[in-house]
Amino acid sequence: MVMQSTAAGLPQNSGGKGAKRSFSVAFEPWLYLSPGLVLLLLVLVVPLIFGVSYSFRKFSAFKSEYVGLAQYQALLHDQVLGQALMNTLWWTVASLVLQFFLGLGLALLLDRDFAGKKFVQAIVFLPWAVPSFLSGLTWAWLFNPIVGPLPHWLFALGLKAEPTNILSDPATAMWGPIIANVWFGVPFFAITLLAALKSIPGELHEAAAIDGANPWQRFTKVTLPFLAPTIAITVMLRTIWIATFADLIYVMTEGGPAGSTNTVATYIYVSAFKTLDKGYASAVAVLLLALLILYAIVLIRIRRSLVRYS
Amino acid sequence: MASVTISNVQKNYGAMNVLSAVDLSIADGEFVVLVGPSGCGKSTLLRMIAGLEEISAGEIKIGDRVVNDVAPKDRDIAMVFQSYALYPHMDVASNMGFSLMLRKTAKELVLNRVGSAAKRLGLDVYLQRLPRQLSGGQRQRVAMGRAIVRDPKVFLFDEPLSNLDAKLRVHMRTEIKALHQQLKTTSVYVTHDQVEAMTMADRIVVMHDGVIQQVGTPLELYDHPANLFVAGFIGSPGMNFLPAVVARQGNKVSAELTDGQMIPLRPELKVEDGDRVTVGIRPENIEVGTSAALKAKIEVIEPLGLSTQFYTRLAGQQVCIFAMGRTDRGPGDTIALGIKPADVHVFHGKTGLRLS
Ligand SMILES: Nc1ncnc2c1ncn2[C@@H]1O[C@H](COP(=O)(O)OP(=O)(O)OP(=O)(O)O)[C@@H](O)[C@H]1O
Ligand SMILES: [Mg+2]
Repeated sequence: MVMQSTAAGLPQNSGGKGAKRSFSVAFEPWLYLSPGLVLLLLVLVVPLIFGVSYSFRKFSAFKSEYVGLAQYQALLHDQVLGQALMNTLWWTVASLVLQFFLGLGLALLLDRDFAGKKFVQAIVFLPWAVPSFLSGLTWAWLFNPIVGPLPHWLFALGLKAEPTNILSDPATAMWGPIIANVWFGVPFFAITLLAALKSIPGELHEAAAIDGANPWQRFTKVTLPFLAPTIAITVMLRTIWIATFADLIYVMTEGGPAGSTNTVATYIYVSAFKTLDKGYASAVAVLLLALLILYAIVLIRIRRSLVRYS
Repeated sequence: MASVTISNVQKNYGAMNVLSAVDLSIADGEFVVLVGPSGCGKSTLLRMIAGLEEISAGEIKIGDRVVNDVAPKDRDIAMVFQSYALYPHMDVASNMGFSLMLRKTAKELVLNRVGSAAKRLGLDVYLQRLPRQLSGGQRQRVAMGRAIVRDPKVFLFDEPLSNLDAKLRVHMRTEIKALHQQLKTTSVYVTHDQVEAMTMADRIVVMHDGVIQQVGTPLELYDHPANLFVAGFIGSPGMNFLPAVVARQGNKVSAELTDGQMIPLRPELKVEDGDRVTVGIRPENIEVGTSAALKAKIEVIEPLGLSTQFYTRLAGQQVCIFAMGRTDRGPGDTIALGIKPADVHVFHGKTGLRLS
């Protein structure tokens, strides 16, 4: 209404008065938006600016000083960080791939009717409701040969020479948090992909069946193209969450043994709260942020070129 | 091309019976329209022919082959859905060529077939577009094109025109008909629109509550409806129905209406004095202003230019009359109605079956 009346009035004004008028027209919407913008600025941007500004300072027990890019120079020579980056990559990729394919499988299974479906559905979505600290502790106990059954089962199956704790062996320790994370994250993919599957019109599958597509072709030519947008967005979100997710690892291994499960996220946590160098932790966090933004940009590009129709 | 034979077919969903004992033979090259009110089981029957719905009992044959346990893709049929069911991520050409591609047909042949089907349907300039970039009518054509390129034995249509506006619907109706006359492929067409059925069908199958009521050519159904349901369903405006009692005096037979007025019936009609019947008269078979004895009062007049529709009250029932030309009468006037005995349909008062 406002736009209409001002637009209608505009032609009658001339010269400087008109320019003034058009400024107020341009300004008006921003005025209405300002409470929301101020809130966004306060909640999102200000903390980010503070966080980034910390990375240019050095903190010690009672004071902090400006050190310019010194923290970033230190990053370059940090061997622990190098290993943490590799660990993060491994932790993220392995968790993501397993979560995704198990989630997709469960979603496909839950998309069809079978006896006891409601029950299975409830079970599948359960891990989502368990606090991450609790699931971390539970899995740590499960892997512990004194209280948990898993080492004994692995031993009985011949997968391990002795029923020891995989969490205490640097070669296998990362698998512990990964398995816990997969258990924890599968419901996310199952729920979102199931919702996307439900949105595919049934007649499309019927048309494909009549056109001569076998079940595998129906999956690849009809189902997957439909899921593609959802897959792209969930994989992106999930990658970012997993890469920055420190709870499980911290609870189960605290980044050890010998730094073998130390990811960038746990390293930030350790630097900030154990060594109390918030400046260095911030610099590492900025690095992780930059890497994730880069990843998101690449994925969005890929998504655009793949998904022409949505 | 092939015939379709449906013998004693039933469909149950759990304990609910949706189709009971359906028998129907569709000849090679025939265009058969299944018509009936919503929920009568038309789509279910069509989907059973397509293989999308299991057959609870009975047998469906396409040509000489029993297809009860044959997968949809091996039945050599093509189906056009009400929603068109186009693949949204494929352009028009891929949508139309999908079935051929799955059959590993040579690329050139696919292009050829798609190209000629597109030309025939006026889609050749849209081949590179996605379905969402097309209008409803164009999408409908793509769905038709997808069926044509297959060159199947049988076309199945499930209310393919019901998402189009009235004008386009009439246009596509004639186009589908013309297409059938060219291709001569056996076609089964589902609709709930009786005008569509009358204009397109070689034969019409009228269904109600999962039971076939009558099968016949459009005019057979119009002139000799087998029961009250068919009589009321076919024709627009619909047939007028009046409850009556048969009065037979020697060679003269008539139907006595509830208010005592008489409608003369054919003397050879197999009815006895005192039989309860329902008489049916089509609106165009009633003549206005003759000296005949029947009197009715006009309630509403609808002038349509070419013709006039009168809504009158006769023996407590509303009776519609369709007359060519215009009238100088108005609501409230009493008019005399002339009805020829040969034009009166008589149905059994209880069973609703046609009496002859
Ligand atoms: N999956 C199902 N489970 C139970 N009942 C069903 C199922 N599908 C259809 N029905 C029932 O079968 C009957 C026939 O359905 P059908 O879809 O064949 O009707 P229709 O004649 O095509 O109607 P419309 O003109 O509305 O499309 C309906 O009463 C419907 O409720
Ligand atoms: Mg239907």
